[in-house]
Parts: sequence; structure tokens; C-alpha cells
Amino acid sequence: MVRLKTKLSLFNLLSKLVFTALFLIFLPWIIERINLRQVDNDLIQKREKTIDLISSIGIEPFISSDTTGSFGSFNILKEEYISLELIPEGGERNEILVSDRTIEDEVITYRVLNYTFMADGETYLLEIGKSLETITEGRKSIYRIILGFLAFIILITLVTDLQYTRIILKPLKRITDKLREISSPSKFDRAPVRTSTFDFATLDKALIDLMSKIEESFRKEKEITVNISHELMTPVSVMRSKLENILIQKDIGEETAIRIEESLQTLQRLQRLVNSLLMIARIESHQYLLEEKAEVRSILAEITGELRPVTADKEIDLKEEYEDDGGFGPANRPLLFSMFYNVVNNAVKNTFQGGTITIKIQRVSGILRVVISDTGRGMDQEQLSALFSRFSSRRGNDENGTGIGLAITKSIADLHQIGISVSSSPGNGTEFIFIFPENS
Amino acid sequence: MNVLIVEDELSLAREIASFLKSENFLCDLAFTGNEASEKIAVNLYDFVLLDLGLPDYNGLDLIREARRDGSETSFIIITARGAVEDKVKGLDLGADDYLAKPFALVELLSRINAVARRKFNIVSQDISLDHFTMQVQARKLICNETEVDLTKKEFDLLHYLVLNRGRVLTRRQLYEHIWGNILDDQYDSNFIDVHIKNLRRKLNLHAPSPWLETVRGVGYRVSSD
Repeated sequence: MVRLKTKLSLFNLLSKLVFTALFLIFLPWIIERINLRQVDNDLIQKREKTIDLISSIGIEPFISSDTTGSFGSFNILKEEYISLELIPEGGERNEILVSDRTIEDEVITYRVLNYTFMADGETYLLEIGKSLETITEGRKSIYRIILGFLAFIILITLVTDLQYTRIILKPLKRITDKLREISSPSKFDRAPVRTSTFDFATLDKALIDLMSKIEESFRKEKEITVNISHELMTPVSVMRSKLENILIQKDIGEETAIRIEESLQTLQRLQRLVNSLLMIARIESHQYLLEEKAEVRSILAEITGELRPVTADKEIDLKEEYEDDGGFGPANRPLLFSMFYNVVNNAVKNTFQGGTITIKIQRVSGILRVVISDTGRGMDQEQLSALFSRFSSRRGNDENGTGIGLAITKSIADLHQIGISVSSSPGNGTEFIFIFPENS
Repeated sequence: MNVLIVEDELSLAREIASFLKSENFLCDLAFTGNEASEKIAVNLYDFVLLDLGLPDYNGLDLIREARRDGSETSFIIITARGAVEDKVKGLDLGADDYLAKPFALVELLSRINAVARRKFNIVSQDISLDHFTMQVQARKLICNETEVDLTKKEFDLLHYLVLNRGRVLTRRQLYEHIWGNILDDQYDSNFIDVHIKNLRRKLNLHAPSPWLETVRGVGYRVSSD
């Protein structure tokens, strides 16, 4: 991605270059036009002077019978010439044009003014010419000066443009920095960015308002989950205390005690269900913040530490193959713990005596992966497709599970942008692969 | 010891009181924040069990008031709101412990006793179990002057059963005490059975342990004599 500042500067530079190029293309033509106009004015002035002269001293000094009706004069460098000619009547001309003249074997391009006038009853043609060679020379030097000047101007404006864009875009940079720094709306810096640009002020204000609104709706959602939790847990709590009080009475007898314990277990299932649903709601409404760096290795080691007595009891071989520490962040460690725990514990539950569970941390071309595989009973296609949905009664007769553990795992993975792929077939065990986001 | 139970859910307050009375506590009840505020100001309680979700009062304010008035009452927060912030705020204000509803009554008792031991600097006495001696301070189990090699969890499990001597503890009560609520969804009664099995095996290497009883269909118990 390109920064706005860079884009603006590039555009500035490009547009300047384009306009300069256009200007340079048309410049010779413009200069020529200006020059010709000047030459023309000059020629017209000279004509006026000559006509004035002729009307005051008469035509004779220029043309007499011995000059055979024509007069010509040019200066030494052939830059200019003037000629007078007697012409037959009826050929009136009054024009300025470019034409080549051969003077002493040299072809020179002249701007020529033709003008006919009457004197002593005869028609004369006045021709005044000015060489264009000198003009071309002058044009070249003007061209150079203009080029140099343009290059200088472009350089100067480019530098000032850059500076100015930087200064003018500073508030925008501050706004984007503000956005980049935060991990949740509550962390957004509410102090308005100082700017005299209306658009930035509007943007900043809109963002601040938006963040407040988002935070408010987060707060409401949180309040709702807290309230639901309170409303549901209080009656459960009452029931539990009552049942426990009955259970500690000395004289209730074995059968009653067992029934009470069973009621307590049922109650616990209810509690666990509510807690799990609340947990998913909290995860999905981003009430858990991702703001620490977690080490997957230590999380997995903690989990295997917890489960090792159980695997040892079932004679399950629990293998740990860690190629990497699995540093990952930003993350929420307790959540990652639950995410992996659910999967490993499932593997333990579904692996037969003497089976194997393998946990691997790998880094495949920079991408962190955790593989948890077992030699357990596996799942068929139908079970597999319903694996992450809540309350899918997968793996059948599990009294303790609410069938929601893997739904929690999925929502935690989603929160951390961790991809999960599962492969399994009945009798051949199950393999979970967690693929961590690239930037971890 | 004097306990004030501040809880707007009447039947829960009564159950807690009934349980604590059987453990020889003197219990007083307050169903609203105002009532609690008055009672705390007038009476000297060793403990206040405080529900944060009171209809008329922010429970945390009761702790603030009590601390401002220089009261040395210990507060144990019991709440069903389950928000981590409540826990942090409560403990910051000087609450001594925090229990999420629903909790086991034996767990509440164990927390009260733990706070009391800290408060009154009570040194836990060694406990004798047939051929075994539990050195609570040193966290060791000794048999014939040899230490029984227990993991931290096995010791905690046994200690909890010993503290509740003569009372059956359900697997869940044991589980919650050792692991807390963190792994609630994945709680597995098999866990406790495995740990008890390992514990028994280790004990029996030193001496028979008939005092660690399995109560069919309910849980485990350390017999009272």
C-alpha cells in the first residue's frame, strides 16, 4: 500500500511534468508568434516612416527615369532591406508574408511587407524585408533560459509541495496512528486531533463518535450477558446449596444420597451449559481482549501436565513433538488454553487403552501449526461436518460433555484468526491442525 | 465466629446460614444493601459474605464504607455476575476472597477458614491419619518418618478431604477446589477417580489407608477417626 502523502507528491510531480512538457511543445510556436508580431509591428512602423518620408520629399529622390523605376537598399549584414518599384496599375497589395530572397547568391528567409501606394499618379510597390535568421538565433537562447527557469521552478515547488503536504496531512497521520494503536474501542484516544482542515476534523469527530457508540453497544452486550448470568446462576446456586445441605445430613441413607448426587450432577450440566453459552457470547462480542503474547509450547505443556495422570491410567502414549516455542500474539492465553484443552481432552476421551496421542508444534515456511492427532475411534463424514456446531451430539454417549466444547474451540480460534482443519475416519483416529495467522 | 450474610435471594441466604450454623458460626442475615450497611455499622462481624448484585446497593460500596469506617471485617464476595472486573475491583477494595455462584458450601467454608487463618495468624497443626502425619505448613505427608511422594494436586486433594474429615465430598466439589471453574466445560469425573487411585497406590506403598473411603455413587471421604 502506498501512503497518501507519497501519492499526492507523485501526482504533483507527474502533473508538473505533463504541463511542462505540453508547455515546451508549444513554446517554439508561441515564441515564433510573438516574434513575428514584433517583426510585423516593426515592418509597419518602417512603412509608415517611409510613406511619411515620400510624402514630404516626393518620390524622386528614390526613383527617377535613370533608375528604371525601381529602388533597393539593404544593410550590410542583409538583415533588412527596402525596395520601391513602379508597377502597373491595378495590382494593389497590402500584406505581410514570409518569402525567400536571393541576395548576392545567398538565400535568406525574410519577413516581407508588401504595400502599394500612389504617388505622382503612378502606382508603386513598397517592399520592406527583415531577415528571420536573427530571430531564430534569439529564439534558441530564450528557449534555454525558459527551460532552466522551468526546471528551477519545478524543483522549488516540488520541495515546498512535499513539505506542505506533509504538514497538511499530519492530522490525518495522527488519526490513522490513533486507529492503529488500539486493540478495542475503549482504548481509542478521545482527545480530538488538532487540525484546521475541515475534512480531518469531521473525520476525527465521526471516528470518536463511532467509537463511543461501539463501546456503548459493547457495554450493553456485556451488561446483558452479565445479567443473564446473574438471573440463571442465582436459582442454580439456590438449588445447589439446598441439595448439598441435604447431602451432608447424617441420616439420609445411601439411596437418597446417590439420588441427591445425581441431581447435583444434572444441575451441574445446566450450569456448564449456561457458562459455555455465555462464554461463546462473550468471545463473539469481543469481551475478551487479545493483548498479550502467548507461547503455545507452554500452554500445551500445561495441558499435557494436567492430563498425563489420566493418559497414564488409560495407558495412552502421549507424545509431544515441539519444533518451535510457538510464540504468538496478540492473544488471550486463558482462551488459547481452553481452545487446545478441549481438543486434547476430547482426544483422551476418544482414544482406547494403549492408543497414542501426538501433539506437534511446527513452523512450515514461517507459518505456525499445531497438530493434535489420536488413534482413537474417529468420526464419519456426518459427525465431522457437524463437529463445530453447538450441541451436535457427536461421539454419542458422553454423559459429561455438553457437546459444546468444540464450538468454544472454534469461536476462540476465529477470534484469534486461527484456522482449523480436521480429518478423521471411523477407526482411524482424528487429526486436528491449527494454522496460525501469518504475522504471528 | 460472627458472619453476616448479605444476599437478596432469601432461600440461598437461609441455606448458607443453615450450613454455617452447623459449623458453629453465628449467622446474621441482611437482604438489602441498606440493611447490611446498618448492621455492619452497629455490629462487629468477623466475616461478611457479600452478594454484589443487590437491588438497592452496589455491593462494592459496602466494602468502601466499611474500610472508611476502619472496620476490620473480612469480606468474601459471592456473585453470579461472573465478570472478571468485579473480581479485580472487589479484591482491590480490600475484599479477602471471591467466589462465583454457584459454589459448593464446603468451598465457602474452606475459604472462610483460610481467611481466618491468615487474619488470626493461625498456624495449621499437623494432622494425624493412622500411620500418616500431614504436615500442613510444610505441605508434606509423612509415614514412619519417610515422606510420601505426592504431586501438588494429590496433596491438595488429600488436604481438602482431611479438612472436611467425616464429610463426603463429591467429585465435583473436589474438582472445583483443585482446578477452579476454568475447565468447567471439560470437567470429567474420571479425573478425580484417577488422582484418588494414584493417591491410594502411593499411600499403600507405605501403609494401608482404609481411612480414605469411596462412598458409592457420591464421592470420597476421609473417615473421622
